[in-house]
Amino acid sequence: MTIGHSGLARLAAAPDAASASSAPAGPYLLEMKGLSKRFGSVTAVSGFDASIAPGEFVTVVGPSGCGKSTLFNIVAGLEEPDAGSILRFEGKGCHAHELLGKVSFMPQRDLLLPWRTVIDNAVIAMEIEGRSRKASRAEARDMLPEFGLAGFGDQYPHQLSGGMRQRVALMRTFMFKRELMLLDEPFGALDALTRTMMQRWLLDVWRQHKRTILFITHDVDEALFLGDRVIVMSARPGRVKLELKVDLPRPRSAELVTSPEFIRLKRIVLEAIEEEAMKSFLASGAAAPQTDAMPEVQP
Amino acid sequence: MSAAPEVIAAAPRAGGCALQRGVLGIVLFVLAWEGIARGFHLPSYTLPAVSDILASIYAKRSILFTAAGFTLTEAVVGYVIGALIGVTLAVVITLVPPTRAVLLPAATAINSVPVVAYSPLILLWFGIGMPSKFVMVALAVSFTVFLSTLAGFDRVDRRSVDLLRSFGAGRLAILWRLRLPTALPLMAAGLRVSTVRAIIVAIVTEMLGAYGGLGWVIYQAVLQIDFVQVWGAIFVASAASLAFFGLVGFAERRIIFWK
Repeated sequence: MTIGHSGLARLAAAPDAASASSAPAGPYLLEMKGLSKRFGSVTAVSGFDASIAPGEFVTVVGPSGCGKSTLFNIVAGLEEPDAGSILRFEGKGCHAHELLGKVSFMPQRDLLLPWRTVIDNAVIAMEIEGRSRKASRAEARDMLPEFGLAGFGDQYPHQLSGGMRQRVALMRTFMFKRELMLLDEPFGALDALTRTMMQRWLLDVWRQHKRTILFITHDVDEALFLGDRVIVMSARPGRVKLELKVDLPRPRSAELVTSPEFIRLKRIVLEAIEEEAMKSFLASGAAAPQTDAMPEVQP
Repeated sequence: MSAAPEVIAAAPRAGGCALQRGVLGIVLFVLAWEGIARGFHLPSYTLPAVSDILASIYAKRSILFTAAGFTLTEAVVGYVIGALIGVTLAVVITLVPPTRAVLLPAATAINSVPVVAYSPLILLWFGIGMPSKFVMVALAVSFTVFLSTLAGFDRVDRRSVDLLRSFGAGRLAILWRLRLPTALPLMAAGLRVSTVRAIIVAIVTEMLGAYGGLGWVIYQAVLQIDFVQVWGAIFVASAASLAFFGLVGFAERRIIFWK
């Protein structure tokens, strides 16, 4: 009886309940405070603070080796941050490993399984969740056209181009229906043309599926074109160097990248990133003659 | 660049050529054997003619085929048991990593001696009948399959494991969906090599004590100074071995299609 009651009550209050359940949690889906991670003598991330609201598309840029991947591994639940780091998901403080199975994660490489067809690769996460194979396959088949894979459902990964493989990997990530999606340089390996096509397509898919995305890239154009907000990471140990709201209208089209507002934002991000890139360049190339290295990088 | 299409066109021809050459090689070898044995009037204890051997096989076909059935049964049953043990051990080590430090050295120690060295003990413990051959074959096969399977499980990409973990997969799900398929090519190589080992070990153990089988036939024929019969049994054993090897190789190509 009591169960029925509360069920009814929840039903009645459904529109409010949805917002209420996240309201006490604060407006954020994911919060990171003072996130740090050391590997032996190397500090990959130190005092990283950021919060992501539901439905937001946040991009993270930074010089190479700034701890972006470590950050992602923590949020994906694969790596535990050091003591003192605060991680909150859906308003509740949690250990990183509790995030396993709660965040849909897409690594840099597509990591498709060569013995599975496109469809079977796409449904692997649902299979692990124990969902019916038949139902998830049917769902995947329906999603194929949206991911530009119509007619390729029964092909094997080695029969596909790089762009298509990446779309299968994205489809696998989307089919693992979690509020938060982590994309780690998903288009890094693609040629420039395919890349811009994929970016616009990703925005379309994101708008239709209404997910929260945290997206790593080292491409400033990509970060600004996609994101509601850009987080620039410092050289190692990674912190937040700059957080920039991208107030560009959506839907965004290809011409946006040449608009004055885009250029203005790009200049800000580039400036911040250049300063950090220089630091990590000098740190890694300490043996190289610094006076020679400086003017080369500055223009 | 013009070389590429030529290579593609040449490939199937080269395959056909290889087969033709192989057959030609065997035919030439048999003819040379026949010629030498007949030409020099070699006594049968040195080298009987191929035609005599084939005639003997035909004449004693029921004995030889019964013996071959006997040996194949021992080899296949021992092979299946050994393969199961090998795969199980590799699975245990993968699911419970601390066991690696115990199981791997123990298995290596047992197998650092040729398996045949254990045969007197195994015959003593399990008798002269088939069970002792099952044990010997299983012993020989399990180690090969164990090592190749373990190497296959270890070869898996760390990032793929992480991806499945991020989907909430446990060790068992990762083993079944990722490690096992990744290991299949190496496992299959181990299984293929083991077919020949299985037949060899079965025959050798039969020679040391048995109620039947090709090894037993060879041993009896030697006692009776019937060297044509020895060769006949060797031919049949070789054919059985090739058939077993070919069958497992065929299954391998069907199952591992993505390589």
